[in-house]
Amino acid sequence: MVTLAWRNLWRQRRRSMITSGAVGAVVFLSLLYYGMGGASINNMYQSLTEATGHIQVHVPDYRDVREFRALLIKDAASVEETLQSGAGPGEVMGVLAVPGLLSGEDRSRGIIAVGQDLPTSLRNRFLEKNLIGGRLLEEGDLEGILLGAALARALEVELGDDVYIYAPGTEGFGAAAYQVVGLLDLLDPNFESRSAYLSLAAAQELAAPGAVTHFEIHFPELRLLKEDSTALTRRDTLQAALPNYSVESWRDLNPSLVQLLDAFGPMMNVVNIIFFILAGLLVVNTVYLSLMERIHEFGVIISLGAAGRNIVRMITLESVLLCTTGAAIGTVLGLLLLAYWSQNGLSIPGLEEYYASFGLKPIFYPSVKPHQVLFSVGFAIATGILAALWPANVASRLEPVEAMRFTA
Amino acid sequence: MSTVYSVKELKKDYQVGEVTTHALRGVDLEIQQGEFTAIAGPSGSGKSTLLHLMGALDHPSSGEVWLNDTRIDQLSKSQSARLRLWNIGFVFQAYNLIPVLTALENAAFVLELRGIAKNRRETVAREALAALGMSEYADRRPNQLSGGQQQRVAVARALAADPKIILADEPTANLDSETGHTLIELMQHLNEEHGVTFVFSTHDPRLLDQVKRIVRLEDGRVTGEETPLSA
Repeated sequence: MVTLAWRNLWRQRRRSMITSGAVGAVVFLSLLYYGMGGASINNMYQSLTEATGHIQVHVPDYRDVREFRALLIKDAASVEETLQSGAGPGEVMGVLAVPGLLSGEDRSRGIIAVGQDLPTSLRNRFLEKNLIGGRLLEEGDLEGILLGAALARALEVELGDDVYIYAPGTEGFGAAAYQVVGLLDLLDPNFESRSAYLSLAAAQELAAPGAVTHFEIHFPELRLLKEDSTALTRRDTLQAALPNYSVESWRDLNPSLVQLLDAFGPMMNVVNIIFFILAGLLVVNTVYLSLMERIHEFGVIISLGAAGRNIVRMITLESVLLCTTGAAIGTVLGLLLLAYWSQNGLSIPGLEEYYASFGLKPIFYPSVKPHQVLFSVGFAIATGILAALWPANVASRLEPVEAMRFTA
Repeated sequence: MSTVYSVKELKKDYQVGEVTTHALRGVDLEIQQGEFTAIAGPSGSGKSTLLHLMGALDHPSSGEVWLNDTRIDQLSKSQSARLRLWNIGFVFQAYNLIPVLTALENAAFVLELRGIAKNRRETVAREALAALGMSEYADRRPNQLSGGQQQRVAVARALAADPKIILADEPTANLDSETGHTLIELMQHLNEEHGVTFVFSTHDPRLLDQVKRIVRLEDGRVTGEETPLSA
């Protein structure tokens, strides 16, 4: 039966090749789509977790707190010690975010001064991604400050100029002078126009000695969303170790973005299914035309004793072979291309700036997971089976005498 | 000899628009095992219709068709298919081979439908082709064979299934005189040596000269029977 089905396929060589090619193209595109989609998801995941950390520790109900002092984790050293011992391979970073007024020679702006000492892995990324002039701060630097480029423009200050921060109502000096040592591109202009960065020591001296407003824990080795369960498990462990604090994962911190990320996978499946439905219509057309051209032949086969199920099997086999052939070619070509891109990267000319504006890396390294390859091939086979249902049903109901009288 | 077929008061009407055509108007017929019988008559006399009903390919308007002890005119579609698969061989006027299969694969096709293993069915099909002198053409497709060769493959297909009975619808109509004669001799041989019961529909005088019994059909009725002298 397989031989018969295979040879029948090539009776109308051109039509079968077009149909099989269409299925192959859909499998090829679906693999690329999965590959690109997966790369985008991981890219977003990396950008997001670099910005917020995989885990953050705050005082309880911190979102509802308006008073700066009430946001402080005052026993920062002991909390950090607990985090260091429970964070495993994660890098712990204390952050002190101080609301204040930043003044240049003539102008002032309300800002958030963020005191933090970036771990090496993040420091390099920050340098590459955000620093557009000057240098980064060293740990313990009490005099330097980094300004968002938009903030520097608004204050009409440049590298090397002095600026002043006033942070009244805090527990430190409450005011200090700094020298602008670096300018930052922070992607979001609003964020850029009210962001300044100090070393943690400088921020603590200014506003809250020995305290932080939150801790971030970064797991630099977690590059893929599918590996994220490590961070989530660690969050639970840390929450148990710090019952008086709020320990949140990046998912808790970015609920709307997480929804978007979580919807991405099912959305890719839906788009792929739509592709396969369109290809399926072409397959139905091919299989049905092939049936119409062979009504007489089916009449003979039925008269020789073929039961309805034999006819259904024959037609389904032809349809599945048609789709499987295309799927095999599409899979091989798709995987070869993805293998090349996963090694050499894919940069889409003209879109580098667009991706950069979202904090995404301009070069993608697409890759597909085995189950996505199975999905694509499975969709193709399912398309073959579903596309054969109607023609096979028509053929299995043929009356042999009437069918043998039929001439196409 | 036992009765293979018993046809009783068989009628078949066709409705085309408002016009009813009476293809068979009440046929009674019995076929004994081992017969080499022709149903003869002019075009439109109902020969093919009768053969189709005897082959469980169609349902009569009324009457009965018995194959041995089984009434076959009331069988369901799947029961009819099963009956044809295991009991009846068919040879058609237009050969009706499957064009993408070789002669060997065509001869083995019914056995494949029966689920016989490939080795076994090929052995049987080769024997059938050999019996019809077609061994050297086993690997050729129908479009590489002459009409006579195709009809021999069609007979081999029927024979390979080792049926109790072979129904042949005008098997020599598309063949030249010599090829037709050879085919008739082959079928006679199968009838005599293998005891296969043959029932033909035909108006070919060459075939009518060779059969043991002729049933004359006209306007859907049996009008007479004869036993040719040469038989």
